[in-house]
Amino acid sequence: MASPRRLLRTARQLTSIKTPLLTSQFPRHVSTTPSPPSPSPPSPPLPPKNLKPLTESQREMLSSFLRVNQAGELAATLIYTAQTPPILAREPHLRPLMKHMYDQEADHLRVFNSLIAKHRVRPTALYPLWSVLATGLGWSTAVMGKEAAMACTEAVETEIGGHYNAQIRELLKMVSEWEAEGYDVGEEFTELISTLRRIRDEELEHLDHAVEHDAQKAEPHWLLTGVIRAGCRGAIWVSERV
Amino acid sequence: MAAAARPALKRALPSLRSSTFLPRQQQPQCHHHVPTSRRSLSTTPSHRNDTQPTTPSDEETHFGFSTVTTSQKRALVASVFTSVADSYDKMNDLMSFGWHRIWKDHFVSTLNPGFSPLSSTSPTSPQHILDIAGGTGDIAFRLLHHAHTVNSNPNVKVTISDINRAMLSVGKSRSAALPASQQAALSFVEANAEDLRKTRPLTPILSQTEQTFFDPATATSGLEDDSVDLYTVAFGIRNFSDIPAALAEAYRVLKPGGVFACLEFSKADKHPLFNSVYKEWSFRAIPLIGQLVAGDRDSYQYLVESIERFPRQEEFRDLIKGAGFRVSGDGGWEDLTGGVAAIHRGMKPRE
Amino acid sequence: MASPAAVNCSGAARRILLLPTTTTQPATRSFPGRLSAVTSRPITTLPSTPRTKSKSTPKTQPPTTPPPQPLQTRRTYHSTTHPPPPSPFTQAETTLLTSALTSHIPTHGFTLPSLTLAARDLSLLDISPSFLGPSPVARLIHFHLYTTRTTLPSLASQHSDLLSGLSVSGKIELLTWLRLKQNEPIIQHWQQALAVMAQPSQVPVAVRELAMLADEIYYLAGDKSVDPSWYTKRAALSGIYAAAELFMTTDKSEGFQETRRFLRRRLQEAEELGGAVRSVGEWVGFTASAGVNVLRSKGVRI
Repeated sequence: MASPRRLLRTARQLTSIKTPLLTSQFPRHVSTTPSPPSPSPPSPPLPPKNLKPLTESQREMLSSFLRVNQAGELAATLIYTAQTPPILAREPHLRPLMKHMYDQEADHLRVFNSLIAKHRVRPTALYPLWSVLATGLGWSTAVMGKEAAMACTEAVETEIGGHYNAQIRELLKMVSEWEAEGYDVGEEFTELISTLRRIRDEELEHLDHAVEHDAQKAEPHWLLTGVIRAGCRGAIWVSERV
Repeated sequence: MAAAARPALKRALPSLRSSTFLPRQQQPQCHHHVPTSRRSLSTTPSHRNDTQPTTPSDEETHFGFSTVTTSQKRALVASVFTSVADSYDKMNDLMSFGWHRIWKDHFVSTLNPGFSPLSSTSPTSPQHILDIAGGTGDIAFRLLHHAHTVNSNPNVKVTISDINRAMLSVGKSRSAALPASQQAALSFVEANAEDLRKTRPLTPILSQTEQTFFDPATATSGLEDDSVDLYTVAFGIRNFSDIPAALAEAYRVLKPGGVFACLEFSKADKHPLFNSVYKEWSFRAIPLIGQLVAGDRDSYQYLVESIERFPRQEEFRDLIKGAGFRVSGDGGWEDLTGGVAAIHRGMKPRE
Repeated sequence: MASPAAVNCSGAARRILLLPTTTTQPATRSFPGRLSAVTSRPITTLPSTPRTKSKSTPKTQPPTTPPPQPLQTRRTYHSTTHPPPPSPFTQAETTLLTSALTSHIPTHGFTLPSLTLAARDLSLLDISPSFLGPSPVARLIHFHLYTTRTTLPSLASQHSDLLSGLSVSGKIELLTWLRLKQNEPIIQHWQQALAVMAQPSQVPVAVRELAMLADEIYYLAGDKSVDPSWYTKRAALSGIYAAAELFMTTDKSEGFQETRRFLRRRLQEAEELGGAVRSVGEWVGFTASAGVNVLRSKGVRI
């Protein structure tokens, strides 16, 4: 299981390179490292951008991206909520870690909720089902032990990290096609791509935390992670459509 | 690619250069003619063919899955339809389980020829309908019935045009069963849809050695610009050598506001399971049935392959738009029976 | 796809853009609509096969273009900056149908004579409405539904002073009422139009338009829900709107007051029902968490 993590980490590091594709167009860069704000003189108003109309399939794609991301973050939030009491009952020193991860997931959920509302995307219809399943998954793995709970986190974050990578790649492809055709790329999509990158990095950070906290030591590790990853993939597939 | 295809064609059809063109069916009035010999499609247009060695008629086109020149295709298509003229209905029934009648009924009723608002003070307005490649009269008779009987508009004239005189003759003999008023509104014209400036009223085929398809050199008249209200073509356009030319001619003869309507076999691949069953039926069963029923496997093989080669709905819609027609926003076509057939409609705009 | 801008990319970054995510799961997910454009291939010529020896197996068929994804007219992702999607009606259709709607529908209703007279007005032929499709009348009604829905935002901005002082539910009521009033000029023919749209071939179109109308009204009212109530609210509003529209076709009161009262009553009922469901849900949630906490306090490790 180490090689997917290494690939993901490499992918994360390399895609956070400032791509001249996008930086040539705007003063704001899209790397994941935050830069300190620099005072600048008021710039003259920019000319109106030449933006290409989105095709029907692109709209479908973006709609399914936001929908499945919302479902994913909802599930992650509920998993942490359900995992926290049983874990902390045994290992109270993990409270800061659990709180930190939960806060980040809650922030991700807020981000996607606002994006869905802003772009009038249909939220996932199986919201109650994902809520129940996520709570059940979090609680049952936490009851099995800290290692099992961490293995669950590791499995979920691996799937989600790969999933975000795929989305970012599709968006970059779409954006580079526009640029090849001579259109501009608006802030809407540069911000979306940078938001997805940031969230993906934080998810991979959770993955690292889970492994540091003995996720690999869960018995039986292969079964737990296999089942949970398969379940995640199934849930992702369904949420993209329903 | 073209240069490579030619030697392959010649290898595959070695008699292409040597044998003469012998249309099989010479008595279209005889409805019980049983073909005795298996007709070969490996023929060359003979000296009776009007092809001059000019570039347009030597352009490559497809004949089913083979590559031929435009003039060869015309002759080969003519031979196919001459041989099936008598059993055209049977052929259609076999290919579509009799469903073609429903398609044709739907085609004509949705076009609604001859309709005039009752509340208007002007009398029922005249309409001139041109039915292309409609030799045996299937569509034309339905159009006449709908206009004269259903819409009570006797001012509707239908002109049936076909390049194949055998098919036209079958249609003419069938039209004798129509009411007199409808027969009076019907006319038969020999023409090539790719150039409607040259037409000739149907001349009966008198001898076995006569060419059964229209020779533009014998043209006596032509269709004028802006003279047709409704242009229909049903199950004919896939046999044309040059579809864009036919569409351009349709645009020319239609009046501004005139409607182009085409009923043709199309792609059913939006329903993969149904489509695979349909394909199996087409490629395996239909030529076999043609062999058993009409003794003419090659014609049916050609027909099935020509369906496969016809552009899909979106591409054909784009061809229609490219000719200048305006189409509807919901695709511009209507799928019938899951896409096995499709009706494309367009309107010539007012400039 | 090599773009000129990609030349500036470093080789590593360019490779990474193509890198698979994990070794176990290839990142080939089929989204509902493929991003890559459908390649349409021209009719290619094949090497000929001997025709005299026909085998029983199907001959090699020419490569067929893959079937494109079905045309969806639902709105999915609304971009705040990019141009909106094109109308499902082409220019020629719009001209003809607008002329029919404004000049002839009030007198002749949603029928073929209206379309034919509109075609004559535009110096077209009697046969011209046939290009609209197999059912020109249904296309006309669809056009009416589409134009009333897409002019709702401008109507809302005209009444923005009225809207600004209202709560979300008040805005819903006013916006629905504005949409109902758009049917006023043709209300005497609307029952006939509803009957046409109730035909099985037209039901998908009608249902889709109704759903998009409910979504539009909620969006204009400022609703930002992203949980399952998104669905229940829109479903409820669709049902209420359809009922009110039907009620309006038989309403003879002054200014359709009865319809407005009907609408208010239905919306109020829906709100009460929603409130009741929410209360029950809250109670169940509190009771469940209280029970779990009691068990934990007894030492059960859950």
